[in-house]
Amino acid sequence: MENNNTLGLIFSGNPEVNLGELMKVRSLAAVPVGGRYRIVDFMLSNMVNSGIVNVGITTGTKHRSLSDHVGSGKAWDMARKTNGLFLIPPPETLDNNTRTLESIDFVNSAMSFLTRSRQDYVILSDCNTICSINFEDVIDKHFKNDADITVVYTEVGELTPKELGHHIMLDANADGSISDIQVYPQRQKTNLAYMNMMFIKKDLLIELVGDCLAHDKHSIAKDILLANLHKLRIFGYKFDGYKKTIDSIKSFFGFNLDLLDPNIRHELFGTNDARSIHTKVKDSVPTKYGREAEVKNSVIADGCTIEGRVENCIIFRGVKIGKNSVVKDAIIMQNSRIMDDCRVENAIFDKEVILCNGKKLIGQGTYPLVIGKRTIV
Amino acid sequence: MKSKECVAMILAGGQGSRLGILTKDVAKPAVPFGGKYRIIDFPLSNCTHSGITTVGVLTQYQPLELNTYIGNGQPWDLDRNDGGVYVLPPYVSAEKGEWYKGTANAIYQNIGFISKFDPEYVVILSGDHIYKMDYSLMIKAHKEANAAATIAVIEVPWDEASRFGIMNTDADLNIVEFEEKPANPKSNLASMGVYVFTWSILKKYLIADENDPQSDNDFGKNIIPKMLGDGNRLLAYKFDGYWKDVGTIQSLWEANMNLLSENPGYLLDDDDWKIFSRTPAMPPHYLAPTSRVKNCYITAGCEIEGDVENSVIFEGVKIEEGAVIRDSVLFPCCVVKKGATVNKAMIGTNAYIGQKAVIGSDDEDAIADFYNSKICSDDITLIGPDVVVEEGVKLGKCAMVTRNVKNKVEEKSAVDETSADIITA
Repeated sequence: MENNNTLGLIFSGNPEVNLGELMKVRSLAAVPVGGRYRIVDFMLSNMVNSGIVNVGITTGTKHRSLSDHVGSGKAWDMARKTNGLFLIPPPETLDNNTRTLESIDFVNSAMSFLTRSRQDYVILSDCNTICSINFEDVIDKHFKNDADITVVYTEVGELTPKELGHHIMLDANADGSISDIQVYPQRQKTNLAYMNMMFIKKDLLIELVGDCLAHDKHSIAKDILLANLHKLRIFGYKFDGYKKTIDSIKSFFGFNLDLLDPNIRHELFGTNDARSIHTKVKDSVPTKYGREAEVKNSVIADGCTIEGRVENCIIFRGVKIGKNSVVKDAIIMQNSRIMDDCRVENAIFDKEVILCNGKKLIGQGTYPLVIGKRTIV
Repeated sequence: MKSKECVAMILAGGQGSRLGILTKDVAKPAVPFGGKYRIIDFPLSNCTHSGITTVGVLTQYQPLELNTYIGNGQPWDLDRNDGGVYVLPPYVSAEKGEWYKGTANAIYQNIGFISKFDPEYVVILSGDHIYKMDYSLMIKAHKEANAAATIAVIEVPWDEASRFGIMNTDADLNIVEFEEKPANPKSNLASMGVYVFTWSILKKYLIADENDPQSDNDFGKNIIPKMLGDGNRLLAYKFDGYWKDVGTIQSLWEANMNLLSENPGYLLDDDDWKIFSRTPAMPPHYLAPTSRVKNCYITAGCEIEGDVENSVIFEGVKIEEGAVIRDSVLFPCCVVKKGATVNKAMIGTNAYIGQKAVIGSDDEDAIADFYNSKICSDDITLIGPDVVVEEGVKLGKCAMVTRNVKNKVEEKSAVDETSADIITA
């Protein structure tokens, strides 16, 4: 059923995350993943699959790629007369600002979208945590707890100091209420990590954002959650499924290769239409395998022509791999072309890269080689 | 309503009985083709690329799936404020209501629809051919010749000409005679079932034809000969691309196999003339470490662990470890379990082939109950949609399997119902 009282707000970027070459031409939300998707497809589909039919996506600089991708929202069934999909223009201070814009600035950029929408509640979420979550359960829990804010968290193992540097750790009481919030802690005290998704009443969000901006405060984690830890009823919702936050080239590579695991694939993409992940339709032809093709353990999208050897790879739409070429442990994005007699290992090819006959590109397992969009090697 | 220069009408009401179980519940134009398409995607996409944005689809036989598939026309860019795609079933009016009696009658019954757009020309298409064609070039030729009708023709091998409607023309390609399936063809120019008519002229002939109780209300049999007899200028328009009638199981199988050849005769993977289709939201396909895939067409949602060669695999198909697929077409979401063998077969949507089952077997002990040389020729075996072939069942080739097939070993322990099941084949 459509949930007509909750709207979604997705952040298309995260000031803490930079994927280098892959984000040179696009925002985090528009980074291609999983053979035919963009990062934002997962959160957007989660919302749509949870019955949320009014979603705003904030934008920063470099939003061409994202707006091209989401278009009218048709692919997510979000081209509607009332509600639907809205790209929020970048914050007005973007051009001449002297500080980095933070999450509250982006919520503020969506203020007219929030106030004009009919819904009373908001799901706020980053785009770069990939999981299959049903927000209906989060919403249920929120009302059962009579909470002001419900935050989604997950259990994690031991984190490295570097990883802790961009995690918000939580501690919860037996009744599910949040007892402590540590923003980017030096030392790990708990194993509950905030997934950057929260549910809140719209009026309360607008009030809190207004308060923060009036006091020159800009961080949702610090200035809304932490500052109100003892003033508001903040509860947690524990998410137990597969999740991966894409915040580095390493985790980007890791998430893509996770898709070679059938269990993860089935959980993320669902086994029925109700949980499927939607994306822009390209009308590619099916993939053609040649007589000499030899493909093992790979996820391959439509529209490819494969004549060489492919192993442990994620191959996007329209990729061509020539005869006698060997491609291993690699992510090859849309319309890239690997000609004959090439060898590629541990590499990420952005879109439309051309690797000419006989070339070799070999990266390290711990540090894959990234080749920028439209490079010709 | 703004007037349109040209309106296209697609005749999609045919049953396609020669496709056997494949068209039991769906009209022929909705039959899957080429890994992710339906036959009707070809004329619809051709219309869009040719700049014809007002398209009527005439449905009659089993229209539910076809109607659902066409929907609002969005996949073909035919969801327009002005024009777009319209599904046109037969209807009842105040005086009378009746089925479409023939191709000409189907258009006659929709004179009201066409007249709303007040077009100069009407393009009549059929929903059962695989080809890529720019209709705008044909309309241009029609205009330049100031013809009453233009009929697209393709050269067919002389020994096959007697299977087609043949156009005999003069040197300028003016049609002088039309012969339906002539025993001794005088020409090898076969009609492709693609017509351009000047609407004002066609309308007169449709009305006259309807008032003639002797008429079969058919374009080929009645309208075209009548127009010729009256001295109208009828032009043949030569098309030299790939064109394939997929009206039989053998030709449908061949058209799928053509895609795998080095030179399929046309480029399916062409950014300038994409064939659009309604795309399901499925993840990219996965080839497991145990898979072996050679010379295949494979699309989204498939999980392949087995050995697949010379085959076209539609969306959402699962092929388990040790299964061997050769020279076959597997329709959407069918499942082939461990160790099963599929030889030169077409497996219907959602069908299930159990462990170690064999489809298209040469062995003498294979079940021959489903042998059907009328529908299946050239040793092709056809498994119907949703059919379950149980573990270990061995089915002979050239068969059309329309019902679930149980394992004979189990059958002995439960003789009563299962044996009856097989015998009534």
